[in-house]
Amino acid sequence: MNLQKVISGFFFILAMTLNFGFFYGSPTVLVEHSKYELFAAIIVNLIATVLKFGDKTQVGSVLLATSLVADIQLIISASLWSYGLYGLGNMNEEIITAVVSFSGGALLANITSVVIFVGDTLKSKR
Amino acid sequence: MDNLFVWIIIRKLRLPILIIIITFSIAILGMVLIPGVDNHGKIYHLSIFDAFYFVSYMASTIGFGESPYSFTYPQKLWVSFSIYSTVIGWFYGIGAIISLMQDKILALELARARFVRSIKNFKDPFILVFGYNTTTKKLIERLNQESKRMVVIDKDQDKIEALALENYYPYVPGFVADALDTKILEIAGVKSKKCEAVIVVFEDDEKNMTIAMKCRYLNKNISFFIRSSDPHNNLYLKSLGFKHVENPFNVISKRFELALRAPHIWLLESWIYGKSLKMRQRDSIPDGKIVVYGHGRMGKALEEGLKKTGREYVFVDSEEIFNNSSFKQEIHGSEIMEKELLNAGLKNAKVIIATTRDDMINLSVITIAKKYNPKIYTITRENDLNDLEMFQSIQVDRNYVLEDIITSKIYINIAFPLTSTFLELLHEHDDNWGHSLVKRITSKIGYKPGLCEIKISKEQTLALFNVLRKKETVKLDVLKRSRTNYKKYNPLLFLMIIRGRKKIILPKNDFEIEIGDKLLITCSEESETDLMYILNNFYELYYVMHGRDKISGILGMLNTK
Repeated sequence: MNLQKVISGFFFILAMTLNFGFFYGSPTVLVEHSKYELFAAIIVNLIATVLKFGDKTQVGSVLLATSLVADIQLIISASLWSYGLYGLGNMNEEIITAVVSFSGGALLANITSVVIFVGDTLKSKR
Repeated sequence: MDNLFVWIIIRKLRLPILIIIITFSIAILGMVLIPGVDNHGKIYHLSIFDAFYFVSYMASTIGFGESPYSFTYPQKLWVSFSIYSTVIGWFYGIGAIISLMQDKILALELARARFVRSIKNFKDPFILVFGYNTTTKKLIERLNQESKRMVVIDKDQDKIEALALENYYPYVPGFVADALDTKILEIAGVKSKKCEAVIVVFEDDEKNMTIAMKCRYLNKNISFFIRSSDPHNNLYLKSLGFKHVENPFNVISKRFELALRAPHIWLLESWIYGKSLKMRQRDSIPDGKIVVYGHGRMGKALEEGLKKTGREYVFVDSEEIFNNSSFKQEIHGSEIMEKELLNAGLKNAKVIIATTRDDMINLSVITIAKKYNPKIYTITRENDLNDLEMFQSIQVDRNYVLEDIITSKIYINIAFPLTSTFLELLHEHDDNWGHSLVKRITSKIGYKPGLCEIKISKEQTLALFNVLRKKETVKLDVLKRSRTNYKKYNPLLFLMIIRGRKKIILPKNDFEIEIGDKLLITCSEESETDLMYILNNFYELYYVMHGRDKISGILGMLNTK
């Protein structure tokens, strides 16, 4: 067992599950999407990104790229939320949908990341 | 990815960034969960954005104060805990970035990336120079004035920094690396098509050879300038196809022989290498016996030259004397040295040559010689450029500086490649011929005429190229004419023309020029500008050809009819 793999695998998958937890629910109803879950998803995603730093292999580069995509999508989602709440003053349906759909995009990136990670692990003979 | 330094940065920043993320998120989460009290005494929770905003300025020690309302004690408790965790994390991160800036590996990687980029950006062909020492420094200075692009590699960081301080224009990039490393050679652009020449003039023959061979395997089209003082090594290198193998001792020997045999040819040669065309009194070596001190590499090379001239000569070797005696410690001005020199017939000799690799020995040999024979003609070898003043102060008649010889030879070969052919032709002639040529040049142009090389081509001589393409004949005489008055001539002499394999030395005035001819010319600076105008400007060329201005357009058409 490789401790490094356990840690990075843990964070990759946690990033995906948290993101899914946030994304799941009606896209127009804000109550169905927990802000704490979004917060946790962002933090875990950032950690997952940092864990991919410094891996010079081809797979490592792709993993880093997908992770960066997820980060950007989630941060945009959170920024939109703040903008809706403080900038516009009220969370209209358009903003809510945008917040949720951005996290949905991030979810796709997370899934890609996990698939590559699992694939790479299966390929490895050690 | 090619640029390793990006990877070094993100790899080293992994832990600091992780710590910042974790401490920040814990602090933010705490701020969100702990209830506060607003101005009206109502309970509220900070939003995630509020908490993020507060923690951001708290951790970076900017500290705008408590917002949006003053904190309650439970909040203050949490903030004081967070301050220590986040601020430490933040400082750790900044510290890591700063230490990364000072990281030597990173600095090296950055320097390498910059170096590779600057070579890639070269538009013109460039010369690769190994080692930045007094020899190559002079060479770089002179070639830089000819606007040649160069790249320097040296093992020593200080030397590369010194190079950067010189402010050469065009810029000469330098890189700290061991030239024996094949990878470094690739980085330095040996494989590039634009790399036209490699200069390796270390004192270590073996090193020169290794580098040259490696470069040759990497790129066959480069021309090499190699220093090699061992005759066997020389032959071997030449057999491998290296054209410019420079043996300083061989050069000295050949020149010395030339100076004895045909002083005016020697004068012309040293002029090509950058000296003046004036024959000074101390340039003529007197007839008579020659005493040579030192039978090392230079001594042996000189011996070959001396044999050809048939002059009487004696060798006195320092190594042999000192190896057999207990006087090793007192090399300079030793009695034994004096005795040996006197035994060799110093008193009735006309010329003394000091050829050892130790400047102090050479100086003392000259001093001894002058003591017993004040009128003797003195020739020395100077090894270290810093000793120049001493050699000047004891008034040596002729001084050979190895570094100078190598630099001027390589310089002339790169800047004026035709000169090497010209010198070969020169050696075939006798002294009378040389004497008349010297007279011709000096009376026409002066004692320090410049050189210039021109190829009749579209790039270098547009106007003449177009005229010749129309099958018009242009004689050499035309190019000598002045732009202000076509009946007068500029001070200018065509030394040699190369057409294919034919080499014509001192072509006549009615010589007809063709496209592709290569011309070696000596002239003053002013007449060089004139010549360039005539060759490249159609109107100027028309004027010197026909003696009247070319009138173009309708007027011109009327005129020709």
